[in-house]
Amino acid sequence: MSRLQLHDLQLARGGQTVLEHLDGRFQDGAITALIGANGAGKSTLIAAIMGMLAPVAGSVECRVPRERCAWLPQQLALDLTFPMSVEELIMTGTWPSHGGLKGYCAAHYRRGREIMARLGISHLAHRPLGELSGGQRQRALLGRTLMQEAELLLLDEPFANVDIETVDVLMEVLRDMARQGATIIVVIHDMEQLARLADDVLLLAGGHGRWVSPDALLDHHSGLVPRVPRLPLTFPDASHAGTA
Amino acid sequence: MLALLEAWLLAPFDYGFMQRALVAGLALSLAAPPLGVFLMLRGMSLIGDAMAHAILPGVALGFLAAGFSLPIMSLGGILSGLLVAVLAGSVSQMTGHREDSAMASFFLISLAAGVMLVSLGGSSVDLTHVLFGSILAVDSTALVLIAGISSLIVVILAVIFRALVVECLDPLFLRGQGVRGGVVHGIFLGLVVLNLTAGFQTLGTLMAVGLMMLPATTARFWSQRLEGLIAIAIGIALVASTGGLLLSYHLSLPSGPAIILLAGGGYVLSALFGRHHSLTARWRRHAAPLGAPEHD
Repeated sequence: MSRLQLHDLQLARGGQTVLEHLDGRFQDGAITALIGANGAGKSTLIAAIMGMLAPVAGSVECRVPRERCAWLPQQLALDLTFPMSVEELIMTGTWPSHGGLKGYCAAHYRRGREIMARLGISHLAHRPLGELSGGQRQRALLGRTLMQEAELLLLDEPFANVDIETVDVLMEVLRDMARQGATIIVVIHDMEQLARLADDVLLLAGGHGRWVSPDALLDHHSGLVPRVPRLPLTFPDASHAGTA
Repeated sequence: MLALLEAWLLAPFDYGFMQRALVAGLALSLAAPPLGVFLMLRGMSLIGDAMAHAILPGVALGFLAAGFSLPIMSLGGILSGLLVAVLAGSVSQMTGHREDSAMASFFLISLAAGVMLVSLGGSSVDLTHVLFGSILAVDSTALVLIAGISSLIVVILAVIFRALVVECLDPLFLRGQGVRGGVVHGIFLGLVVLNLTAGFQTLGTLMAVGLMMLPATTARFWSQRLEGLIAIAIGIALVASTGGLLLSYHLSLPSGPAIILLAGGGYVLSALFGRHHSLTARWRRHAAPLGAPEHD
């Protein structure tokens, strides 16, 4: 099953084509890693999937309802001087489905507390956002998507500038969400993290995309994660991919 | 003692004009500070000032067309304020320039056009009235208008409150949900224009911003929570408008500046002695030991 499919997609930024002839389906209940060099079009693709960038040609077919789509951007647009606590941030996740006019009920608060406990940030519930570390902030933002009960989750480099312990917690939560059927797309640069997390890989290079299995990116000889990411700039043959 | 208090605090309000001025001031004090808090949090504290200038040509045109008729002047003010907001927004979108530079250009044009129009059609007394207002000359029509606009602002603000918070905090989250942030932003700027239009009769176009921004910036020294900021700002505005009126009555001062200066005095004191980020708070600052219970 796939509720998110790309059909011969062409995307452009500022009159310049970034990606073309992009096809494929993102598996439900799986974590797809989106990899590629800087400028390969990863963020552009994410913007198109979120409906914020109209395709030049082709289409994105997304059958996940809008209020269940969540996006954690790379360049955090979060205003950290805004007087808001972690708990309040997480509660805003109810907003898309619950509506902007109604207040929160006890069940929402209970769920919020469960989420904070799950992410190990219960002790930060009343801490202003501006006083959080990078890792704590990323946990709180993932908490918001949990509150949103996101079924499609797009994360742009979620593990950048984040401590190891937080990476573990985030990965575990993402794995759980996938197990419950969510479609998750993660932009990753670290091959080791990719090997731990991804079920599927969409590699972007030279304006094209290619689906590969995570194994295809491992070291061909030792079967281990290469210490230096070796992104193939020319695509291996389809028969080659996945056979390593 | 009681007699003295009564003579100072209550007796002035035996007069009809003082009662009307008080009600007008209180109505504005409920509507303006929450808008100011959001302007401040969005880093748009000076936009309020720009918008205040933007309503001037409309007010002047209304004055030229219908004489000193408050509803017509207010309507003109609202229209020209909204026009400038829309123009500044679209120019910045089309050219990619920052919105504040477009806003600055348009408000300067508006100010010059407004002053020119008033001078062409009236005397300098009229100009002074439009620029600086006169809260003691509020009649029943003006009072109904001010109270009506203030109520409208409070209701609309309550409706868009959560969207506004999310938009201030994380505009991309809102965009991801398919809500055009521009819509919320536009409604909000519209409310600012409405509020300034309600305020110009009492405080003048230039000082109507005072009741919006000063309580908000002062509240920042006392609270770090949004609800707290809004509640404190409203409290400060209520005290400043009542106190300013009394001062102006007893000491024969112009009412608008008295109100704003009182709020300004509150700001200076808060900057010196407030709970957060003030001068003394910096001196007081010390760190709790590890393992100490969290304070909110």
